[in-house]
Amino acid sequence: MKMKLFIANRGEIALRIIRTCRRLDVRTVLAYSEADGESLPIRYADEKYPLNGSAPTETYLNIPKLMQGAVKTSCDAIHPGYGFLSEDPGFVQACEENGLMFVGPSSRTLAKLGNKLQARQVMKECGVPVIPGSDGTLADEDEAVELAEKIGFPVIIKAVYGGGGRGMRIARDSNEVRKFSRITRLEASSAFGRGDIYIERQLTQPRHIEIQAIADTHGKIITLGERECSIQRRHQKLVEEAPSVALDPSLRAKLTDAAIRGLGVSGYTNAGTVEFLVESSGDFYFLEVNKRLQVEHLVTELTTRVDIVEEQLNVAAGDSLDISQNEVDVVGWAINCRINAEDSREGFIPTPGTVIYYHPPTGPGVRIDSALFSGCTISEYYDSLIAKLAARGMTRDEAIRRMRVALEETEIIGVPTTVPLHVELMHDPNFVKGDFDTTFLNSFIPRLNSRIERYEKLAAVVAAVEKTRSPGAWRTEETQKESRWRTAARTRSVSR
Amino acid sequence: MRSFRIQVNGGSYTVSLEQVGKERFQATLNGVTYDAEVTAKGNLTSWIVRTDAESTHAKAMNRPNDRVDIWLASMPFPAIVQTLGIGGYAAPAETRAKAACDRIRALMPGRITSVLVKEGEEVKEGAALLILEAMKMQNEITSPNSGIIKRIFVREGETVKKDSLLISIE
Repeated sequence: MKMKLFIANRGEIALRIIRTCRRLDVRTVLAYSEADGESLPIRYADEKYPLNGSAPTETYLNIPKLMQGAVKTSCDAIHPGYGFLSEDPGFVQACEENGLMFVGPSSRTLAKLGNKLQARQVMKECGVPVIPGSDGTLADEDEAVELAEKIGFPVIIKAVYGGGGRGMRIARDSNEVRKFSRITRLEASSAFGRGDIYIERQLTQPRHIEIQAIADTHGKIITLGERECSIQRRHQKLVEEAPSVALDPSLRAKLTDAAIRGLGVSGYTNAGTVEFLVESSGDFYFLEVNKRLQVEHLVTELTTRVDIVEEQLNVAAGDSLDISQNEVDVVGWAINCRINAEDSREGFIPTPGTVIYYHPPTGPGVRIDSALFSGCTISEYYDSLIAKLAARGMTRDEAIRRMRVALEETEIIGVPTTVPLHVELMHDPNFVKGDFDTTFLNSFIPRLNSRIERYEKLAAVVAAVEKTRSPGAWRTEETQKESRWRTAARTRSVSR
Repeated sequence: MRSFRIQVNGGSYTVSLEQVGKERFQATLNGVTYDAEVTAKGNLTSWIVRTDAESTHAKAMNRPNDRVDIWLASMPFPAIVQTLGIGGYAAPAETRAKAACDRIRALMPGRITSVLVKEGEEVKEGAALLILEAMKMQNEITSPNSGIIKRIFVREGETVKKDSLLISIE
């Protein structure tokens, strides 16, 4: 493949893309913000292109700057990663106008599936079940209440242009519909630029299951199995796995068929994911299309042995897919834990800072996608996702056991992380049985808190023995230069 | 036996501990016994802490004055350590009295490869008493206090169970 690729993203996903490019001898140019000046992916990209500033709007969301960078460095293609501009029709259009191949669907497809409501229409027209709800944007609160009463409570009020788990609210009665419609509308206009809303019935305890597909420009579309993503906190996925315990071959076939139909109708190309909500009865409903590489794509790679980024590049270059459907074989089980720099003791607030020591786990069936290194900075400007730890086994049980061991070996010293949550989850009897849905984590928090309390006691013991072991530190002056991390640690403990 | 008041993450705990080896301690918190052992040294000390239920890895960074930072499962637990009793490491009277006769027990099952002291011998705090081989490691068992060896309960080459009595010191 002859291609020079501009990467309009950062962190672990930039590194993930670079790894495939290096194997394929595709030259890479990495755009980077000031805050990312010493990031790990920079070391492995062939060239780097500075974006002045650090705030996303000045950098990874700035279309003119990124276009200029890609053109200046003579790139042929742009990979948007996930988040940022990955699903922005304006960005794709700018690429097309500048003669750059966009590694993703065309601007025409993006426009067709552009917002949640349009995607819902497309799916409905080709016979894919959609959640009972409004077929258009709601004019006012009265219309919202009228419709909610027709479809039944509770309902979920959604921002048409929302995404990433934001811009959604659950209403239990007419008063709440009225109140939350107004709030969601206001929030959406400030967060997404447009305040349009619609409503859907809130399903009780559904699972979130999605189908990974990839289509080339020659009309070939294949699927790479499903992913189970029901472990969520406020609509944000925390743990994903492939396959799903909830699908039997017939239900899997139905979801796969619906995904292919929906993507086919919209002329979809490149990697895409069709998300569904699945009820325990086996009824399923279209949720949305993710028109990009997904954070959790690695569990699919681990069970199918397909390099999704490689296939994305093939498709973008106009080549046919390397693999055909009958070569796709889902083998074994893979689980992914999203390790975020967040403090579960403080309502999962993101915790930027410096990682003073990092020791990643490894072993048979263990994969970690991360841009961490000892001494790296977790910037306050970007996402709190710092590592994706995946474990694969021949069975789900083996994958869980490998994950437990890998989590125990993981050492990220410097910022609070979601590791304790994952440790507790991998020992939770219901999770281990596969008995969970999208509401699971709500009831899980008390269990997590009792683990944190156990850790507190252990920490008290270690504090006592550490002081006794090297009592010299009782009286020594601070000889080392005051590092930012030390100051931060002190400020934290003082403010507590 | 030393006692500490530890503040961690808003909680306050009393920990009493006994040194049972060169880098090994037995701690008690709310009636639960914890065995803590250093596994690596450096800027960060690595510890393994064992209870009957589980064993956990931890990292610690000693800070000036009464502060220590502890990490467990990639989560920081900044702690403040206060010694209970008057000045330095002085233990409260009741624990000092109890410490008059120290009974040293095996922290883990293993084999006594050498006995380095004799009954009636005077030893200083930290002196090597015997070597316990466990998990292919030679573990030096040291004296937690200065005193006189009252009785030795084991012979060289003997296999011992966890918690079996090894030596008493007066």
